[in-house]
Amino acid sequence: MEALNAFSVSLQAVWNDSGFSAFTMGNGIMILVGLLLLYMAFVKEFEPLLLGPIAFGCILANFPNTGFFGEEMNVMKAINYGITYEIFPPLIFLGIGAMTDFSPLLARPSTLLLGAAAQIGVFVALGGAMLVGFNVHEAAAIGIIGGADGPTSIYLSTKLAPHLLGAIAVAAYSYMSLVPLIQPPIMKLMTTQAEREIVMKELRQVTKFERVVFPIVSTIFISLLLPPIAALLGCLMLGNLFRESGVTDRLSDTAQNALINIVTIFLGTGTGMTMSAESFLRTDTLLIIGLGLVAFMGGTAGGLIFGKIMCKFTGGAINPLIGSAGVSAVPMAARVSQLVGMKSKPGNYLLMHAMGPNVAGVIGTAVAAGTMLAMLK
Amino acid sequence: MFMEHSPVTTNPLIIMLINMTVVFLVLVSLIYLIKLIHFVDPTKEKPKPEVEEDEPLVAVKSAPAASAPAPVVEEGINSEVIAAISAAIAAYGFAGQVKAVHILNHEGTPWRAAAKFNNFPRK
Repeated sequence: MEALNAFSVSLQAVWNDSGFSAFTMGNGIMILVGLLLLYMAFVKEFEPLLLGPIAFGCILANFPNTGFFGEEMNVMKAINYGITYEIFPPLIFLGIGAMTDFSPLLARPSTLLLGAAAQIGVFVALGGAMLVGFNVHEAAAIGIIGGADGPTSIYLSTKLAPHLLGAIAVAAYSYMSLVPLIQPPIMKLMTTQAEREIVMKELRQVTKFERVVFPIVSTIFISLLLPPIAALLGCLMLGNLFRESGVTDRLSDTAQNALINIVTIFLGTGTGMTMSAESFLRTDTLLIIGLGLVAFMGGTAGGLIFGKIMCKFTGGAINPLIGSAGVSAVPMAARVSQLVGMKSKPGNYLLMHAMGPNVAGVIGTAVAAGTMLAMLK
Repeated sequence: MFMEHSPVTTNPLIIMLINMTVVFLVLVSLIYLIKLIHFVDPTKEKPKPEVEEDEPLVAVKSAPAASAPAPVVEEGINSEVIAAISAAIAAYGFAGQVKAVHILNHEGTPWRAAAKFNNFPRK
C-alpha cells in the first residue's frame, strides 16, 4: 500500500513538473507558429540559416516549466545574454565585413547616396508606427525593419524596445527572405522600360591601398560622430580589414565561416527564445509585421526614386534599378536588381553596380540606427 | 538605459528630417573620404595619354606579320607552333617582332632553366 502511495505521489510530482500541466492555448499557437516558420525555412528555403534557429527557439520558448529564464544559469540564459547585452549583432557584422567586397562602392562612391535614400522607409514606418499608437522608442525599433538589416534591427530593438524583439526580428528576417518577391513589382512600377535597359559603364579598378584604408578611415570618422554604433560599424570594418589586408587570411576565414555560423545559431535561437506566447500573441505583433512591410516597400521606393534622380543628373549613366539595392539585404537586393535588369535587357549585368548601394545600405542603416539612438536616449 | 531618458522630440516628421539629414551628411562625407583616399593613393596607375592607349590596337590590327622579316626558325618546329607563339606575342602588342625561334635545352636543374629564361632580352 505504501509503495502504491509513493508511486502515486511520484506520478503526481512528475505531472506537476511536466510542461503539460502548465501548457496554455497560447503555447500551442506559438508552437504552431514555430512549426510554420520551420516549414518556411527548411521547405520553402526562406533565409533557412536564420529562420531555422529562430523557429526552433520559438518552439523551445513555449515549453512551460523549463526554467530557461529562472534564477539559475543555463545555456539558454547565456545565449539570451548575448542578445540582451548586444554581443551577437556586432559579431555577425564582423563576419559580414569579412564577406563583403567594398570595391564597387569605392569605384563609384556616389552610390552611397542610394544607400542613404533607401533609409526613407525606416522613417515612413516610424511615422506610421507612432500613428497607430506605438511610443517613439518602439516606433524607431519597428522602423529600422525598413533597413532590411537583421543584426541592426535586433541591436536597436534590444536598446529601445526589448519587449518587441521577437516580432521585429521575425518581421525583419521574413521580409529579407521575401526580397525577390516584394521588390520586383515596385521596381517595374516605378521605372520605365528604357530606364531598366540602361547599360552602366564598367567600374574602375580599385587598388589594395583604397580597400585597406577605407575601413580604417570610415571607422574612425563614423565612430567619432556616432559612438552608439561604434561596435556595429567597428566590427563590420574590422572584418573587412581582415579580408583586405592580405596577411590575416586565417582571421578572415574564421570570421566569415566558423564565427558567423556559430553566432548565427546563437542569435537565431536566442531571438526565437524571445517569442513566448505572452510577448508575441498580441495585436502589436500583427501591426509590426504590417509596418515592417510598409518600411520595406518605402525603402525600396526611396532608393528607386533617388536612382531616377541620379539617372537624370548623370545623363542616363545610372540605371535606376540599382537604387532598390540601397536597402541592406546583402547580396539579395543586388541580385534582384541584376535579375530585373536582365529580364528587361538580356546581357545587362547590373550585379557589381548594385553591390555599391547594397553595401552603402548596410552603412546607411547603421548610421540611421545610431542617429536614432543619439536622438532618443 | 536609453529608455529612461526623455527623447529630444517625439514628432515623427522632425525625427525623419533630422535623421535623413544626418544619414545623407554622413554618407556624403564618406563619398569625399573615398575620393580623398583615391587622391592620395600612392599605388594608383597614372592616367596614360590617349595616343598611347590607341597605339597597340592599331599596331595589332594593321601591322601584318608578313611586313616584318621572317623569324629564324630552328629545324623541327612546325608552322603551327610558330603561329601560336607569334599570336601570343602579338596579343601583348609586339606584332611582327619575332626574330628567332629556338628549342631550348631543358637539361639541367630548374635553376639553370630559370637563369636561361632571365637572360632573354626584354623590351
